Amino acid sequence: MFIICIMLIPVKTYAGAATDTVTSHVDRVMNVLKGNASEESKKADIRKIAGTMFDFTAMAKATLGINWNKFNSDQQQEFILLLRSMLENAYISKILDYSDEKAVYINERSLSDTRVEVQSKLVTRSADIPIDYRMVKTEEQWKVYDVIIEGVSLIKNYRTQFREILSTQSPEELLQIMRKKG
Amino acid sequence: MTGCAHTGKSVSPALMEEQTFQDQETPVENSPKQQVDMTVDEKMSDDELFLLEDEEEAVAAISDPLHGWNRAMFKFNDRFYFLVAKPVTDGYSEVVHKDLRTAINNFFLNVSMPIRFVNSLLQFKLKPAGTELLRFGINSTLGVFGLADIAKSHYKLESSDEDFGQTLGTYKLGHGAYFILPFLGPSSIRDSVGLFGDLFLYPIGYIKPQELSFGIYTYESMNSFSLNVNDYSILKEAAIDPYTAVRDAYFQSRKAKIAE
Repeated sequence: MFIICIMLIPVKTYAGAATDTVTSHVDRVMNVLKGNASEESKKADIRKIAGTMFDFTAMAKATLGINWNKFNSDQQQEFILLLRSMLENAYISKILDYSDEKAVYINERSLSDTRVEVQSKLVTRSADIPIDYRMVKTEEQWKVYDVIIEGVSLIKNYRTQFREILSTQSPEELLQIMRKKG
Repeated sequence: MTGCAHTGKSVSPALMEEQTFQDQETPVENSPKQQVDMTVDEKMSDDELFLLEDEEEAVAAISDPLHGWNRAMFKFNDRFYFLVAKPVTDGYSEVVHKDLRTAINNFFLNVSMPIRFVNSLLQFKLKPAGTELLRFGINSTLGVFGLADIAKSHYKLESSDEDFGQTLGTYKLGHGAYFILPFLGPSSIRDSVGLFGDLFLYPIGYIKPQELSFGIYTYESMNSFSLNVNDYSILKEAAIDPYTAVRDAYFQSRKAKIAE
């Protein structure tokens, strides 16, 4: 796999368009965090940025994998919404704690014609946390479909969980679990 | 992802096609060899091969023969975390400023240099091994007993997180099985053996009497835990199935470290 990565690098470069996109989103988030607004309005602002930064439909498909087909179209739509609100609820309040951190962008690696990985590092006082954004180009816009923190892919992590649940339970039962969580 | 190309949803068509393809290529009855041959035949892109590999690994990682023990230990550690470890650590963090805790963490990181040095050598990573020695020299002197990581901040010499479990991994030894340790958390048979091996390279382990050595180790653990005490609760809160989420995160993170 590593060899494939290396071979991929010279195939195509995007002159950092994806990195620019990530940078501008992350800068906007940092500005919100540094602002004096109330916690609630900060959360709302970050939610708005997340809406343009992430491709939640792609994330939903990637986290379900082969199981996506077992969902009917209504269930698929609900799944996208539930996954989105679950991710927002879990992470937005957490990043409010981060304000004195600095993001450094290291590299942009092409994965295919339409996908790149933007590698960055969050520099905190106690440690540097590597964060990679996997992005897909849709309608001339780069959107994030996976975040890899210290080598752990968010999408893979959910895919493993959903696969395990769906091996014994129906899509409706999974949605029920997610509704309760939301 | 599969078949979504036919459901008429307005999503990136390129992504749909690629992922659809990849997922259809993952039926269990095909051996990995056959899959790769087939994908090459049908001109699967490099990116799809990536995802295919991802999928195969995730399937492989599910093997959890000790899940009876593991689930019990998971519950035990979860309770220990919320009832003891987190409250005690939070109290400690309130008294001791983060900068001081970071300095103490640097000190112990410096002391445990032999683990990283020897394991770098065992993995034939000569430059990182040399860097560890250099870092130890700089930080023990200019960094005042290792309290300040001058080697990193002033000389851009980064520590490489190596341990014996990773060394065994680079020798192509598999995890064996997922294995949760009491108090210490997720591990595997291989990495537990590694942890035991690293004890011999850990200077604190040689302090006598044994109780003092154990006491210092416990303090070191709490101090370093205080710097990322919320990781577990964040992961748990974000998870649908915390047990599976932690197991997957463990395997992913170990794999990434071994690949480094």
